[in-house]
Amino acid sequence: MLASSYKDEDGHISVSGSGAAAAAGGGSLRNKKPENTAFKQQRLPAWQPILTAGTVLPAFFIIGLIFIPIGIGLYVTSNNIKEIEIDYTGVDMSSPCFNCSQNFSWNSTKSCTCSIPFQLDQPYESNVFMYYGLSNFYQNHRRYVKSRDDSQLNGNEESLRSPSKECEPYARHDNKPIAPCGAIANSMFNDTLELFYNDPNGTKVQVPLTATEIAWWTDKHVKFRNPGGEGSDLAAAFQGTTKPVNWRRPVYELDSDPNNNGFINEDFIVWMRTAALPTFRKLYRIIQRRNNLLPTLPRGNYTLEVVYNYPVRSFEGRKRMILSTISWMGGKNPFLGIAYITVGSICFLLGIVLLIIHHKYGNRNNGADVSH
Amino acid sequence: DDCLTQRMMSHPQLYIPGQLNLYFSKKAFFKCAIHSCYSSLVLFFIPYAALHDTLREDGKDAADYQSFALLTQTCLLFAVSIQLGLEMSYWTAVNTFFVLGSLAMYFVVTFTMYSNGMFLILPAAFPFIGTARNSLNQPNVWLTIILTSILCVLPVVTYRFLLIQLCPTINDKVRQARATPPPPPRRTRIRRTSSRRSGYAFSHTQGYGDLVTSGRFLRRPAVVSWSPGFPPVGRATSGFSPMGRSAGYSPTGRPQSSKVPDVEATSLQMYRAIKDPPL
Repeated sequence: MLASSYKDEDGHISVSGSGAAAAAGGGSLRNKKPENTAFKQQRLPAWQPILTAGTVLPAFFIIGLIFIPIGIGLYVTSNNIKEIEIDYTGVDMSSPCFNCSQNFSWNSTKSCTCSIPFQLDQPYESNVFMYYGLSNFYQNHRRYVKSRDDSQLNGNEESLRSPSKECEPYARHDNKPIAPCGAIANSMFNDTLELFYNDPNGTKVQVPLTATEIAWWTDKHVKFRNPGGEGSDLAAAFQGTTKPVNWRRPVYELDSDPNNNGFINEDFIVWMRTAALPTFRKLYRIIQRRNNLLPTLPRGNYTLEVVYNYPVRSFEGRKRMILSTISWMGGKNPFLGIAYITVGSICFLLGIVLLIIHHKYGNRNNGADVSH
Repeated sequence: DDCLTQRMMSHPQLYIPGQLNLYFSKKAFFKCAIHSCYSSLVLFFIPYAALHDTLREDGKDAADYQSFALLTQTCLLFAVSIQLGLEMSYWTAVNTFFVLGSLAMYFVVTFTMYSNGMFLILPAAFPFIGTARNSLNQPNVWLTIILTSILCVLPVVTYRFLLIQLCPTINDKVRQARATPPPPPRRTRIRRTSSRRSGYAFSHTQGYGDLVTSGRFLRRPAVVSWSPGFPPVGRATSGFSPMGRSAGYSPTGRPQSSKVPDVEATSLQMYRAIKDPPL
């Protein structure tokens, strides 16, 4: 009835006589029609996702039934993690560190110490991790985040002598380049925290703290490298540079262990990995488990001794020390568990509501006349 | 493939959405804006809350700026891909390849940019080294990604499903009908008997001239059994079978479908049966 090149339902083409002749002959008249392949005529076999009740409702129920147990698992795991936070900023007059926080000045050579007693109600097993936490400290401010020189920190000699412009105004001091340059390095956390266990019979036992394996492996072994190569004398390698303004010691005296000195000092690396949120915690030390019989930190009284160097009162910040155990989902964060339970329940309820709606109203519209 | 000529001709109502400007109006933009606001809030606040004071499973830091950025952008990619999959009406091989391919390409590019090699070439340009490796091997990162993507897509699916159920548009009805194809519409010709037409309108065929002149159309063949004393009157539809030569044949000469015996008789056939010699 129609033109001879009409294509019918099952996709077979009946090529018109003139078209075939022109294509076969390859004559002077170029055939501008696109080829009659499935690809060019957009007739590829396709799967069509149509939102029918048979697909959407089971999907909602399945999502609900999967999310709720995951949420419960996460929440239970998070609740089993033991954690204690001790704020030692010294805001209250009654706090042991109040004097230290009040008497802070940048040029004081004598460091202020304070000790805070606390107690653990439960024994902590397996590895216990010790963190320092800061509040109201915006490590995610853009100018702050950019104020570093990654090639200098990678051991590049050129950048060591002439730091990048991003580090301004913390790039040079006393006519010498600063190593490491930038505001992030300049504001490094320099409190010293020590932990003592008060034995029941009165003696104070220091809890051994490990200072290595606290930074990411890629950071310590690839991103941060000391200038002058492996095993060289760091004081000589850093000659001609000066320490950052707020530091008390230069970078090559951060630790006596040569594998933890210079730019590859793990406390420095941990600090340089800027935090995303204004309230954050960074790994400070690890308390290794001794053996499988005794808990790592038994129940009892403890003392935290702080060498208070870091000023936070000026910007209303807070400092705290956190002791925490770890599980497969990380630290204590009940949000993910609660979120999964909530979303799973919402999905399930939505599924039920949509099922009711589908039964009451959906069938009325099915099989409606699509025809004319 | 939904612009097949025949399909558009058989469902002319499909032109209505275009005429009424249903899909490109202020209302449509407003819905889009609401959806984007919701998605933006979900894509920021769920990773924010998930990474707040969180640590890796080996105790090291997880809540750093670079991990947060990677988590948010991965959530975004997954949400967008799922949304795209819903918008795509036809999952041909080409479409599927490109959608899944772009997701794969994202991971390839991310891991390349965050690799050791690129950092060592240009340290200042690739500061995110190691972030992908260290962040994406954490289970709670993947759980956050799954949660965020599903939460972004859930309202869209619910809204569309409700619309399809409560006020289906013509497009939806066509798609539903195509998903479960209805039986082809029976073109039941109304059986005005061929006697009503003189046949001369169908000038390219022989016409019904001899039917008219034979007078056969006025009589019914006697296939109705009637008991003595009660001549069958009124409608007796079961007995009617068109036995005339032109009955059952369309003007073009081809035999019609076999449904002809189902046709109910018209009023013209309600007359007293006259016994007729069988033809």
